[in-house]
Amino acid sequence: MDIGSFAGPFLPEIFLLAGALLVFLLDVLNVRRNEVVGAIAVVTTALALLFVVADLGFAPFAGLATIPAGAIDATPSGAPLYTFTSLGLVFQGVFLAAAFLVSLASLSRPSEERGAPIFYGLLLIATLGMVLVAIASDLIFLLLAIEVSSIATYLLVAYTRRDSRSLEAAMKFYIIGALSTVLSFFGASLLYGAYGTTNLVAIAHVAGTVGYPVLVLLGYGFLIAGLAFKATLVPFHAWAVDVYDGAPTDVSSFLAGGSKKVGIFAFFLVFLAPILYVRTAPSGGPFTTGTVALGPVLQLTLSVVAVLTMTVGNVLALLQKEMKRMLAYSSISQAGYMMIGIAVGTAPALAGATLQVFAHVFMKGGAFLVVAGVSALGVGPLIEDWRGLGTRKPVLGVAFGLMLLSLAGVPLTVGFVSKFVLFSAAVDARGYFVWLAVAGLLNSALSVFYYARVLKIMFFDAPIPRAQPTGAVVGGSEPARLPAGGLGYGRAMAIGIAVAVIVAAGIYPQLVLGPIQNAAQHFVNLGI
Amino acid sequence: MILEELAFAALAATAVLTAIAALLVRELVHTILWIAIFFVDLAAIYFLLDAPFLGVLQLGVYAGAVTILLLFGIMTTRKRIFSREAATGIGPVPFGLAVVTFIFLVAAIGEFPQGSGTITIYDPSALSANLFNVNGPWLLLLGLIMLAAVTGAIYLVREGRE
Amino acid sequence: MTSLAEIGFVALSSALLAIGLFGILTRRNFILLLIAIEIAMNAAILNFIYFAAFSSGTAGLTGQAIAVVVIGFAATEVAVGLGIVLALNRVKGTINVARATELKL
Repeated sequence: MDIGSFAGPFLPEIFLLAGALLVFLLDVLNVRRNEVVGAIAVVTTALALLFVVADLGFAPFAGLATIPAGAIDATPSGAPLYTFTSLGLVFQGVFLAAAFLVSLASLSRPSEERGAPIFYGLLLIATLGMVLVAIASDLIFLLLAIEVSSIATYLLVAYTRRDSRSLEAAMKFYIIGALSTVLSFFGASLLYGAYGTTNLVAIAHVAGTVGYPVLVLLGYGFLIAGLAFKATLVPFHAWAVDVYDGAPTDVSSFLAGGSKKVGIFAFFLVFLAPILYVRTAPSGGPFTTGTVALGPVLQLTLSVVAVLTMTVGNVLALLQKEMKRMLAYSSISQAGYMMIGIAVGTAPALAGATLQVFAHVFMKGGAFLVVAGVSALGVGPLIEDWRGLGTRKPVLGVAFGLMLLSLAGVPLTVGFVSKFVLFSAAVDARGYFVWLAVAGLLNSALSVFYYARVLKIMFFDAPIPRAQPTGAVVGGSEPARLPAGGLGYGRAMAIGIAVAVIVAAGIYPQLVLGPIQNAAQHFVNLGI
Repeated sequence: MILEELAFAALAATAVLTAIAALLVRELVHTILWIAIFFVDLAAIYFLLDAPFLGVLQLGVYAGAVTILLLFGIMTTRKRIFSREAATGIGPVPFGLAVVTFIFLVAAIGEFPQGSGTITIYDPSALSANLFNVNGPWLLLLGLIMLAAVTGAIYLVREGRE
Repeated sequence: MTSLAEIGFVALSSALLAIGLFGILTRRNFILLLIAIEIAMNAAILNFIYFAAFSSGTAGLTGQAIAVVVIGFAATEVAVGLGIVLALNRVKGTINVARATELKL
């Protein structure tokens, strides 16, 4: 047996699984120091990320590529359960980057913290599930891979075990997650009944000619509802704020930066084929004959969801007094921008949405990491508590400010590039998609208000009397002063990387935009 | 095949009634009783559909394991087993939503052939070949789910030395 | 050779899904929520099995294989839910979802 060609393409997945098992093994052997198990998670995700980047063909690492060049974006023969697409690889990179940043920052948590092995182990398994989502080409494979990451993240939210706030958040997350799972599987069962297969490649081939229009519509409807919970789209968004607020902040960073993108990518996978191929119903209206003009119906539904999501998220973010809840609502509105990509369904729009996903890892994930670090310095949960932080800790203040500016879409940050690409693609698509771009622009303007308010409070308001540092981020009892401005080296490095990416990709967007546009074009050509 | 039709009608009616009863009775232990009957009833439907492997699986996993797990959950979380906490109002909105869901789904019925269809019998060995060869990755994913669930859930309920 | 009307199965699984959704929306006891979720999940499993029974060949076998995997997955999910709720019960002494009110709903 040629192990190299058999296992090679799955090297990132194998690294993640091996890392998780190693962490659990160390737990059994009573090696539970945060730095030790955390280092394993950092190395594992970094190695996996390296191989994914190599497979994408980036120059310095291209020699490390393990997937044969012809196997990426190849037209699938038969009905495979998984297939390698370059857009999937981009998303794998995004997921791994989120996991890498979170585990790097978590190194700065107290080394005696309880539950460190379970935290990193579950983080790696959740990442493994997400990475598998990105290669799925079968509905059941996709839903099961989503469940791997979901089950791991329910438990990740609860890992502090004694903290009733995070346990409650975990319970809410679990109930909503289980409901969304039921809806997704029910939708999948209806599609299976209509098409006789759950394979997305096979469905793409027969999508236009199936004999059960109502069944197909209902199936896609249930799938929209089920996946919308995962991607925090209105009207299925309410849980996200409570969960991001109640979870340990590093976990919130992973949820907002990483695991909700799973829902976005699932939307890309499931809905692109019907949107591309099922354009017209034969004469006699959508329901009378054997087929249905599914594509336009889905596009209209997803457009409405996108506009609702960004508007509701932004308006509610304006009203928030707590930093984490404000970031959570802004995260919901960002999911609305990403949905524009699949609603429009052209290659440039998908590229814009993917760039938005990429940017969001560093903007929102990074912002939550800053919040976690700042709360360890003894700053309270309210936005008001951040008064004068920018003058007291200028480096941290500027870093956080850059993340917020990028979220608002200010030029020279990656957030501007992604919104520009996305909205111009929507305008190019003509029709009512122009209004999607208009809604997006208005919402971006609206969002500037609450980001600017935070910046004003941080830099121009008088500082509050210096508070005593209370030490640990979660639980623990280590009040010791950490190096690197009280953040710890790991967290400072993670924040630094996030800011570097935001600025670098903002000033020189071709660095990431080119490969992403390429990948989106291949994805649309492939059309599964 | 009037006999099969009658058997299915009886089993379907029992399934719906026990499901409703499980959610509406006032005492949690009675809920477990009804849901156990519901699971067994569905297993009987799977036997009727000539899917004996799935019937046995339903009996073992749902009627056996899940029921015991739920019973265990009730017994460890409540000091008084016969709790009255279960009962809450029905509420017009959820009820309306449930009815609308039902009507929408029944609308799909119009697409199905009105007569009786023949039921295909699958060889369990063919099923296992399908499950372990073609669709093997599903089982691997199930294994990953169980890995996460077991490690995390044990950690959560383990009594720490703190 | 058994033959049955497919219509009855569609109606049954629709009814079970409706009952399950209704339960998820109205019940506030965690165990009842789990039961409502399982009822709705069984509707999906029943769908896979009867669609398989009324088709044939590889398509039908796939449906039964999916049902096997989903049954296994659903049981795992219940175990995770009970783990979370037991931990919460130890900290707070209640499994009533509405009474767990530290977070705003």
